[in-house]
Formats: sequence, C-alpha cells, structure tokens
Amino acid sequence: MQITKLQEMLEEAKKRPKKRLVVAYANDLHTIEAVDEAISMDIVTATLTGDENNIKRLCAEAGIDHTRFEIIHETSDIEAGLKCCDMINKGYGNIIMKGTLSTDNYMRCILNKERGIMVGKSILTHVSVIEPNGFGKLLIVGDVAVIPQPDIAQKVAIVKHLISTAHSLGNEMPKVGLLAATEKVSYKIPSCVDAALIAKMADRGEIKGALVDGPLALDGLIDKESCEIKGIKSTVAGDADCILFPNIESGNVFYKTCTKLLNSELAANVVGAKVPAILSSRGDSALTKLYSIALAALTSTN
Amino acid sequence: MSTITRLSQLVERVKSLPKKRIAIAVAEDQNTLTAINEATQMGFIHPIMLGNKDKIIALCEHEKIDYSRFEILHFENDIEATKEAVRLVREGMADVLMKGLVNTDKFLKAVLDKEKGLLPPKTVMSYVCAIEVPKYKKLLFVSDTAVLPFPDLDQKIAMVKYAVNMANKFGIEKPKVALLSAAEKVSPHFQSTLDYAAICKMVERKQLPDCTIDGPVDLFLACDPESVEIKGIPTPLAGEADVLICPSIEASNIFYKGLMLFAEGELAGLIQGTIKPVVVMSRSESAKSKLYCIALSCLMSEE
Repeated sequence: MQITKLQEMLEEAKKRPKKRLVVAYANDLHTIEAVDEAISMDIVTATLTGDENNIKRLCAEAGIDHTRFEIIHETSDIEAGLKCCDMINKGYGNIIMKGTLSTDNYMRCILNKERGIMVGKSILTHVSVIEPNGFGKLLIVGDVAVIPQPDIAQKVAIVKHLISTAHSLGNEMPKVGLLAATEKVSYKIPSCVDAALIAKMADRGEIKGALVDGPLALDGLIDKESCEIKGIKSTVAGDADCILFPNIESGNVFYKTCTKLLNSELAANVVGAKVPAILSSRGDSALTKLYSIALAALTSTN
Repeated sequence: MSTITRLSQLVERVKSLPKKRIAIAVAEDQNTLTAINEATQMGFIHPIMLGNKDKIIALCEHEKIDYSRFEILHFENDIEATKEAVRLVREGMADVLMKGLVNTDKFLKAVLDKEKGLLPPKTVMSYVCAIEVPKYKKLLFVSDTAVLPFPDLDQKIAMVKYAVNMANKFGIEKPKVALLSAAEKVSPHFQSTLDYAAICKMVERKQLPDCTIDGPVDLFLACDPESVEIKGIPTPLAGEADVLICPSIEASNIFYKGLMLFAEGELAGLIQGTIKPVVVMSRSESAKSKLYCIALSCLMSEE
C-alpha cells in the first residue's frame, strides 16, 4: 500500500523487523530524544557513540533511561564517526545517523577510503520526503543538500534513488518530474536539455520502474489545472510523486519554502552509501529526526 | 493530393504544375544543358540561360539541342552572370536558381550575399536529398548530405524542419523522422544523443512542426520493421521512416553515396534555407538524378 503521510511511514516501520541504528557523536538532546522515540516504537535498536558522561547527563535531565542505548565512549567527534562506520562495515548496523559532529566531518567519515562506507564509485546524494500541507501525498525530492550542480550522470543517479525511495514507500510506478523553468525545450537552458535526455533514457528503458518526464515547470509538476489550461501532455503532468531539481539552489529553496514558510514536515536521508545515512541539521525538530529514522528503516536493505 | 513515393511520380507531379522559370548561372555547360533540355522538352520549366551566348549555342548545336525555346542572356564574366541570375530570382523574375559552369565558391558567394543574396539573415543553410532505392517502398529524405559538416543542435533543428517541409510537399502529412546514430542507447558522451533527446521533446511540446519523431535510433530501427520487432524497442517509427537525420556529413555522405553506388539509388537534392530553391548538382550524378533535382526545385518553389 502506498504511503501518503509521514505518520504512515512510522506505522509501517513499526511493523517491520527492527533495524540497528548507530549514531555518530550523539552529544545532543534532540538526537537522543528522536532515537529514544524510535526505540519506543520498536523501529530500531541503537548504539550511541560520544562522550558517555555527557550522554548520560543529558538522558538524566530529560528523564530518558540511558540503558536503552548501547553507549560507546569516544571523545573525538571524527573517531566517533569512524567507529560507527566500522560497525556498519562489520554488519553491526543498518543505518548511520549524525549527532553533533559537523556535516563536513560526518561526510568525511562516510567517504573515508579505509574505514568509510562507500561502495565502489557510487554517487552520494540526498533524498527528502516532504509532506506539503494540502497536497494530499508525499513528494520525494532531490538533491537539496549534497550535490551542488549535478551533471547528467549524477542527475540519473539522483532520479534512480528517488524512484527506489518511492518503491520503498509502496509506490510501484512513481511519476518523476524533471524540474526546469519551463516545459519548453530551450537549448539556452541546460536543465531543459538534460531533462529531455533523461526522459529519453527512461523511454529507452535505461531508467526503470517509473514514469519520467521533463522538462516541466513546477506548476506542470504539481498542478493538474494549470497543465490542462496550458495543454501540457505528459505522463507526469500535475501529479508528480518525485521531483529532480536541476541544481542545489532550486532544491534548497523549494525544501525550505515547504518547511520554513509552509510548516511542512519532512524526512531526509543521504543515500548511495552501504546504508542510509541520516543527516539532519541541528535546527531540525525531534519529529523530523524521527521521521528520518523511519525513512531509513524502510529504505535500508542491509 | 496523393503521396509521391517514387521520383518518377515527382516528375509527373511537376508536369501538372505551372511552368517554372529557372535562371541558370553560367549555362555554357554540357552537363547542365542536357538536363535542362530534357526538363524543357517535358514542359515543366522555362529556362533563362545566363552566360556566354556563343558558347551556349555552340554546345547546343554539338549536342543537337534545339535552343529556340531557351532564353539566353549574354554575359562575358562568370561573376556578373551569377549575380544577375541571383537578382532575377530575388526579384521574382525567376522561380529557381541553378548553378552551371561557375565554381561553387563564387556561386555560393552570390547566393549568400547579405544584401543581394537569397539567404535571409540568421537562417541555417542546409541540404536535403530525396532518395529512391528499389528495396524501400517509399522515398527517404536524408539530411544533411552536402552543406553542414557537424551540425549543432540549432542546425539539426533546422534540418528537421526542412526535411519535414519537403516531405509535406510530397504529400506526407505527418512524416516519420528518424534521428540516426549507431544505436538507440542514450548516452551523454555522444553530443548527437543529447541533441536528439532535446529535439524529440521539442516535437512533443509542439515547438517544431508536427511529425512522428524518435532518436537516437540506428538505421535498422528506422527502416526495418523486423529489427524493431526483434529488438523490442517501442519506437513510433516502426521501421518505416520517411526522414533520416544524420549526425554528421561523414555519415550522411557515405550513406547516400553507398545507396547510389550499390543499391541502384536515384536522388533529388536541394539546398535549403534560401527564399527560392537553389539547385547545385554534382557532375557525377546520373542523368536521371539531374532531371529529378530540377523537378524537385519546381515542386519546392510552389507556394
């Protein structure tokens, strides 16, 4: 059954076998609270790396029982991240999550040549699942955070991750829209030409499991009425499940418009490594972190 | 209007149209005179010959051609004759321009002249060939076999427009356009693939004239229904392409010459982009193909 709300994602994750979550440098209350909640929901079991005394103190202050976590004492943030990677590589973790180490250092751990968790030359990218108020279903979008100016190979990789995320959320044939400023193909706008190419790749079966079309402007992606008025014929027209952004600026503005201006909730994961990686920012609510854990639990195949 | 599927039908069609006035630049050329004479006898052109009158008459007498039906304007100088021929076409006193014994560079210089030539500003000049081969049940409109060496996206778009327009004039309402490559796979490493995907989407979005288009496809998917079935690629061309757009002049030129040499092909080719048809024939073309080129120019000069 297709999941259309983030809350349903939690319900679905509860039904599945528990995943093992390892948290890099879990020295903040937001993270601990979200993990505690996920444990209460039987979605995960968790190992926290970080300053043991600090973690225990935070737990005590918030009334959380620290014995629910396995705690590995590590005072260096990078080493805490690398220890999480070691656990994943040994098969002792299905999801990695960022605590209070910086995003740069967290990514460095994931990408570390000896101890990191990359597979071959796979492309690391960011997938967000947004629940826009009033839209009636989830929007799976990328990349709003990791790849600044994706080339065609990276765009194709992003699209494939969007599709497999949709599959994990029970949508067997998602509609993927390739965003541009207009549905017309103008060769002065590179995003239009890239979108046309990716749509053709999908025609040729080089991208499977989805209906893919672009270039389309945002109204062409999410507003059926304007598609009818404009006479846009497209397999995606007005009913997109997934959106590929041409660059990080457009993606980031869209995602922050949804979350900051329209109070939409979201879940987000970095994908492309051995396991889903949660990269929530310190500003994210405990709820967003919880949703992100649930998303990772549903998409994790390890 | 019935669809023209053979070049002999093209000749029949133009015979039924009003006669076209053809201005021939530097007409003292045996090659040209023979073809023009045939078209004149068939009654679909009125030739205006610009060049050395004495030489033209001497050649006609040598070839036993009756020149009484030719309008002959005397010019000593190649460039002057060519400029005047271009002027006649430009000012509507002739319908078609044809190259005679003037070298191609001088001829094109007059055609391309910004103030007095025949190519509107910012217009892509290209070339389309209608080719007939006994093994294919209809004509193939192939572009660009002669003018654009490595067409960019803008030029490929013009090639598609010109070829579709020509196919329309042959009575094919919605031609099937194949954007040719070595395979049907889409790869950003091939610039032609990128261009083709953009062009397909432009047709879908109605930015280009109506046609059924697909690419990249290889020649088998374009022209062989059996291959389409075996490969299982769902292409709307279904192995029945009317138009073949080639990625470079090397591909198109070798393709059409291969058809001429080994597959008993005949052709009718024309420069595209000019305000009126411009005929440039190669000496090595057969007498039939030369006649077909003239017939094509007459068809294309119809409004």
